[in-house]
Amino acid sequence: MTAALAVAPTTPRGGSPVRPAAGPALLAAIVAVNLLGFVVPVLNLLRLSFLKVEATGTLRETFDLSSWQAILTDGFYAGLLVDSVRTCALITGLTLVLSYPIALLIHRCRGTIRTLLLVLVVTPLLTSAVVRTYGWVALLYDQGLVNGMLMALGLSAPLRLMFNTVGVVIGLTEILMPYMILSLLAGFGRLDPRYEEAAMTLGASPWRTFLRVVLPLTLPGIALGCLLTFVLALSSFITPKLLGGGRVFLLATEIYDQAMVTLNWPLAAALSMVILAMFGLALVLYGRLVRRIG
Amino acid sequence: MTATDAPGHLAIRGLTKRYGGFTAVDGLDLDVARGELLAFLGPSGCGKTTSLRMVAGLVPASGGRIVVGGRDLTDVPTHRRDMGLVFQSYALFPHLSVARNVAFGLEMRGIGRAEREARVREAIALVRLTGKEEHRPAQLSGGQQQRVALARALVIRPQILLLDEPLSNLDAKLRDEMRIEIREIQQRLGITAIFVTHDQVEALTMCDKVAVMNGGRLEQLGPPLDLYERPATPFVASFVGRINQFRARAAGGIVGLGEARITGAGPAEGPVEVMIRPHRIALRPASAPVEDAEGRLNTVAGTVARTTFAGDVLHYEVAVGDAMIGVEEATRSDAGPVAPGTPVRLSWRPDDTLLFAAVARDGRMRP
Repeated sequence: MTAALAVAPTTPRGGSPVRPAAGPALLAAIVAVNLLGFVVPVLNLLRLSFLKVEATGTLRETFDLSSWQAILTDGFYAGLLVDSVRTCALITGLTLVLSYPIALLIHRCRGTIRTLLLVLVVTPLLTSAVVRTYGWVALLYDQGLVNGMLMALGLSAPLRLMFNTVGVVIGLTEILMPYMILSLLAGFGRLDPRYEEAAMTLGASPWRTFLRVVLPLTLPGIALGCLLTFVLALSSFITPKLLGGGRVFLLATEIYDQAMVTLNWPLAAALSMVILAMFGLALVLYGRLVRRIG
Repeated sequence: MTATDAPGHLAIRGLTKRYGGFTAVDGLDLDVARGELLAFLGPSGCGKTTSLRMVAGLVPASGGRIVVGGRDLTDVPTHRRDMGLVFQSYALFPHLSVARNVAFGLEMRGIGRAEREARVREAIALVRLTGKEEHRPAQLSGGQQQRVALARALVIRPQILLLDEPLSNLDAKLRDEMRIEIREIQQRLGITAIFVTHDQVEALTMCDKVAVMNGGRLEQLGPPLDLYERPATPFVASFVGRINQFRARAAGGIVGLGEARITGAGPAEGPVEVMIRPHRIALRPASAPVEDAEGRLNTVAGTVARTTFAGDVLHYEVAVGDAMIGVEEATRSDAGPVAPGTPVRLSWRPDDTLLFAAVARDGRMRP
């Protein structure tokens, strides 16, 4: 509603006038898409989570709280939630640390080198996460490239880099880095090299210039990148499934298993609502942070 | 202790900056005495900003030395040089308040809270911004941001204050005010300062000495009056103040101009560049009686081609032989403008005729 009002008075002078009434009309398309593609399915999921499932997998149209009861009382799901958030927070942190220097470098480059670096960052996105995950399998399995090299250097037994949390963290971190780098770049708008020069003339060493000037000015980018990465990590299931080998339990893989293997759709729907709530929470935190940065 | 070792004395020796095959600054040599304000004056691309940035340590020098108070700073990183720099764009930290911006340099020096707060208050008062301490830079006007930048650079009591075109983003009125204000503060603190500008008025009105630069080289270094009255090169003569310029041939110290013969200070033989400032030429109708009975002045006859009234002055363009000479006269209440087509007599003192050996197109002296 407020967005519609903001669009309305765009007819100060000259140009092709947008009639005030056209604002809501222009928004109608996106509202319709969101309604059909997001709101309706989510509401349907919510309804689904209160249905009862038979042992055969058929759904019965009654009001039933057993899925929610399981989630709220069974310690397994609470543990799953904590594990998922912790793993995804770790992935987000690693992605940030690895992406930040790259984003800073790209931000400072101009011309052809900048374009080239951006293409290098975006290219992995053109390949599906499945293919990239299998790429990691080839690198990380017991006879893979990494272990092969380590053994050649004298390691007696291969490191367990796959079918555990380590593998999932490695794979997801690499897969999510492009999103983080692009988000950071989008948020680096305020960072002008003059600020760093000013800090140095005032006696700040390079490290303190980074802490006191560069880092605060890039906080909006950091917040945006972390939000996006966290949300994507929490909702990804192919990579955790393949690199976790069924031994790493995360919310998204559990939803997949409940929906596709156990055929317990109400429980899968209820877990989906939990993930959605986590996204909402992350968004609120992001909003708070951005408002504080000003 | 020699003069160049005195605290606050800046000595620049053979300072050079090369980018690949391009030489941006070519063997700059100069001294700025303690408490002096020196201008780097020149057109864009003359190397003045690059020189300033080398002094600040933001651009590494390709050659030469930078010595402050006897200490060689050439290889010292920026943050240990103890110089205050005011940027053209001010570069105030957008995420910090005015007070925190000013306090930044003191925090980096580990100065205790009580002293820090006192010095920040003092610096903000110095630039007349008391009451704006908690504002963000974006909430201030251009002139106020400029003053915060000045306070931030001064509060650390730097050995040298560097100003990089600090007034170029201000409107004309504010620029005049800030010119006076910066000069006053600089003199009150007795701080050594370099002021980079492409505006000759700023350089002439504010600075003790002016270094005119062109093509990476120092053309002339001297007090404003010297630069104006005794320019060392045609470039300086034409860059500092307005001036008439034309080619002529000198023989035996006499230069032919139209049908007249004039004299001046400079080469006696060969092709010469003749330069005369328009307001040093007197314009009289040819019919008026000759005042210069002894013939001490250079006098030429010509015809007014164009008259432009600009309020306080009248601009004339006078055709003298093939040459067109610009003349500037103060307007008077007892005599109106001389109409175009009027035959006139132009006269000026021989000392006001600047003669230089004719120069090639690139501005360098011919061998």
